[in-house]
Amino acid sequence: MTAAIRSRKLAQIFLGAAFGAALLAGPASAEKQGGSITVGLEADIPGFDPLKVGVFDTAAETAAAAIFDTLVYLDDKGQPQPKLALSWTHSDDYKTWTFKLRPGVKFQDGTPFNAEAVKANFDRQKDPANKCRCAFYIAYIRDVQASDELTVVYNLNDPQVNQPALMTIQSSNNVIQSPTAWKTKGEEYNRNPVGTGPYILKSWTAGDRMVLEKNPDYWDKGHPYLDRIVLKPLPDAQSRFASLQSGEADLVWDDEYDADNIQKAQKDPKLTVHTYTGSGAAVYAFNTKVAPFDDLRVRQALVMAIDRKKMSQAITNGLARPASNPYGDGSWVKCKDDGALPNDVEKAKALIRDYGKPVEFKMIVTPTPRGRNIGQVLQQFWKQVGANMEIEQVEQATIVPRAFMRQFQLIPWRIIDLADPDVQMYANFHTGSPVALANYSNPELDKLLEHARVTADPEKRTEDYCAVGRLINQEAIWFWTFQNTYYAISSSKLKGLPKIYSGVIDVSNVWME
Amino acid sequence: MLGFVARRLLYLIPVLVAVSLLTFLIASLLPGDLAYVILGDQATPEKVEALRHDMGLNQPIWWRYLSWLGHVLQGEFGRSFRTGQTVLQAVAERLPVSFELMILAEIIGLAIGVPFAIACAVRSGSAFDRFMTGSAFGMLSVPTFLSAILLIYLFAVELRWLPATGYVPFQEDAVGNLRFFVLPALTLAFAEWPGIMRVLRSDMIATLQEDYIAMAKAKGLKPSRILFVHALKPSSLTLVTITGINIGRLIGGAVIVETIFALPGIGRLLVGAIYTRDLIILQGVVLLVAAGFVIMNFIVDMLYAVLDPRIRHGHA
Repeated sequence: MTAAIRSRKLAQIFLGAAFGAALLAGPASAEKQGGSITVGLEADIPGFDPLKVGVFDTAAETAAAAIFDTLVYLDDKGQPQPKLALSWTHSDDYKTWTFKLRPGVKFQDGTPFNAEAVKANFDRQKDPANKCRCAFYIAYIRDVQASDELTVVYNLNDPQVNQPALMTIQSSNNVIQSPTAWKTKGEEYNRNPVGTGPYILKSWTAGDRMVLEKNPDYWDKGHPYLDRIVLKPLPDAQSRFASLQSGEADLVWDDEYDADNIQKAQKDPKLTVHTYTGSGAAVYAFNTKVAPFDDLRVRQALVMAIDRKKMSQAITNGLARPASNPYGDGSWVKCKDDGALPNDVEKAKALIRDYGKPVEFKMIVTPTPRGRNIGQVLQQFWKQVGANMEIEQVEQATIVPRAFMRQFQLIPWRIIDLADPDVQMYANFHTGSPVALANYSNPELDKLLEHARVTADPEKRTEDYCAVGRLINQEAIWFWTFQNTYYAISSSKLKGLPKIYSGVIDVSNVWME
Repeated sequence: MLGFVARRLLYLIPVLVAVSLLTFLIASLLPGDLAYVILGDQATPEKVEALRHDMGLNQPIWWRYLSWLGHVLQGEFGRSFRTGQTVLQAVAERLPVSFELMILAEIIGLAIGVPFAIACAVRSGSAFDRFMTGSAFGMLSVPTFLSAILLIYLFAVELRWLPATGYVPFQEDAVGNLRFFVLPALTLAFAEWPGIMRVLRSDMIATLQEDYIAMAKAKGLKPSRILFVHALKPSSLTLVTITGINIGRLIGGAVIVETIFALPGIGRLLVGAIYTRDLIILQGVVLLVAAGFVIMNFIVDMLYAVLDPRIRHGHA
């Protein structure tokens, strides 16, 4: 999609209210009612109460997409569309967003869905006494007010021009849960969730299967198509794929580190590989306050030494898609020139020679086969240009505090697939932010980030973000290796799977041919 | 006999205390402070400090151990901070799966191992014996993750006789339940039978050289009677030991096999707890499993006494 078309699409977002009355697409003739599917997920789901589990992982989000609804959903063109909200408007400064809610919707336990319910969900997560880990992600929202039965007002601390799009992932922050249910069920609510969604949780055996059955009173008539969805954790990649081949599972989660099976499935006419390249990337931050990374030449040399194609080949059989900026193919930010440094071994060698001192440092990697692989490949690239990297394996749980305390020279991080770059770009690069990991401060960068967050025109914002990308690439304070690409493999009879936004496999509206 | 049982039971107490201490230490020494784990990507130093205070993580380790032990002695193993389930709930849900897997694997392992062992012992040194000993050695060297994938490929993907992954409770669908268990139980049995065979075979060869066997032969007893009645029982002491140890080991869940076949057993519970640093679940489950293991060994000791009267009457 070209930038121009994309920006026109975005412009429509702000006319969202006008189109807001349009319902989800009605069933077309090809879509078949009835039947059931089994979905193989990567992990056990711990539960759905945000106060207990904090944030959902993608396995929980797959279930959440079926049990709950969000106010807004993202269509396959990346545009926010009405779901539990019918329309929305915003103030001129993008700090107040008003949502008109869909009337006549009830939670699966009969509780009416209204503005008070939306507010109760928000307040429960925001309340400092509840100490919800989920509160972090709504820190930018000051409060939510129910101005009448079907109107909610979001008051933001910081402007957010794409607020509706940011509320589309089926995360613990965005799905609307039944206040009656969590109040009456207490401790048990976590494993007995109640939403307004198309499927009702029928039974759940820990570690084994979660059975979801069609909600006969779903507000979107004609939906969903399937009578039943069975979600199973299948943690082993090989047997997960075997279950798909043998027909026990109709759809399985996968990732590019299981490249062999993905490539096998691409050749199999009985299987369909669903893939989506989102925004964001796997990224790494240099600590620019400590030697040798306080010197621009060293940082540039190391980035120039990386051959991403070769690296992709070595780690994922070539499936992983090289990234040259933090936005990625899935983002609406498209840059003609992102200023990425070329892969140039000779230039890199020269820069290191010019630096004059020996380049020795430690890089943190996760203690997983994947983390070690990446570390070893980078180690080889850097050795070629005369830099010695030592791999330091650190538990995921320890990487985060080390990042906060800046106890690292080079640390892995991730920019996740979100509908708007502002949240993460501002947090990662604005002076003074707790996760501005590079310890780098540049008034020009700050100015661009501040301008981008209060500008509505997508073209102007794109210009800002491309300038940000160029600046970071040239200063080499962070670098990006691969874009976020998400995979699911299904029987070719399974239809209607939407894009795998943020890695969430949403099966709430699929059917079997 | 009663005195013997009582003495053995007393020995269990220090063992269980040591186990609980080790369990606690291992869980506490895992990299990754629990406060950081719970806070995830918002682990700012202030929040970490506050949470550590709330959870008592600032207390000295011996104090934390004693307070945990105190709760455990009252039957309170604690709750998972992720799912809200208590340790006992989680174990009660998972135990039947691991237990069934363990029983089936042992039955298949014994059904393959014992007849081969006897056949080899009778013809020890023959071509058949050498072939079987060699194959047993080969089978021992095959890791379970490999045999599991090969079995899945053959029976689930190619022949489509059996499911590759999954589970259904026995009371819901008995036949379906057994179908799900065939491949994982076979995988485990493949690793069990060579050990069973080798041990029983060598014990049996030794027994067959005893004077009383020669005596039985001289009396003209039928060879099958000599083999199964007079030789098998005294030869099975070591077999009972390893079967007991295997059962104890498998109570802890066949971690790899449960993961590959997606069986919701104790092994998966443990792996999940480790990955998510669910230390309450981890400590509780490891302690319960270790206690199960110790008790299983206690039962094996008792079985010795039944099998061999000398142990019962001696100063064991």
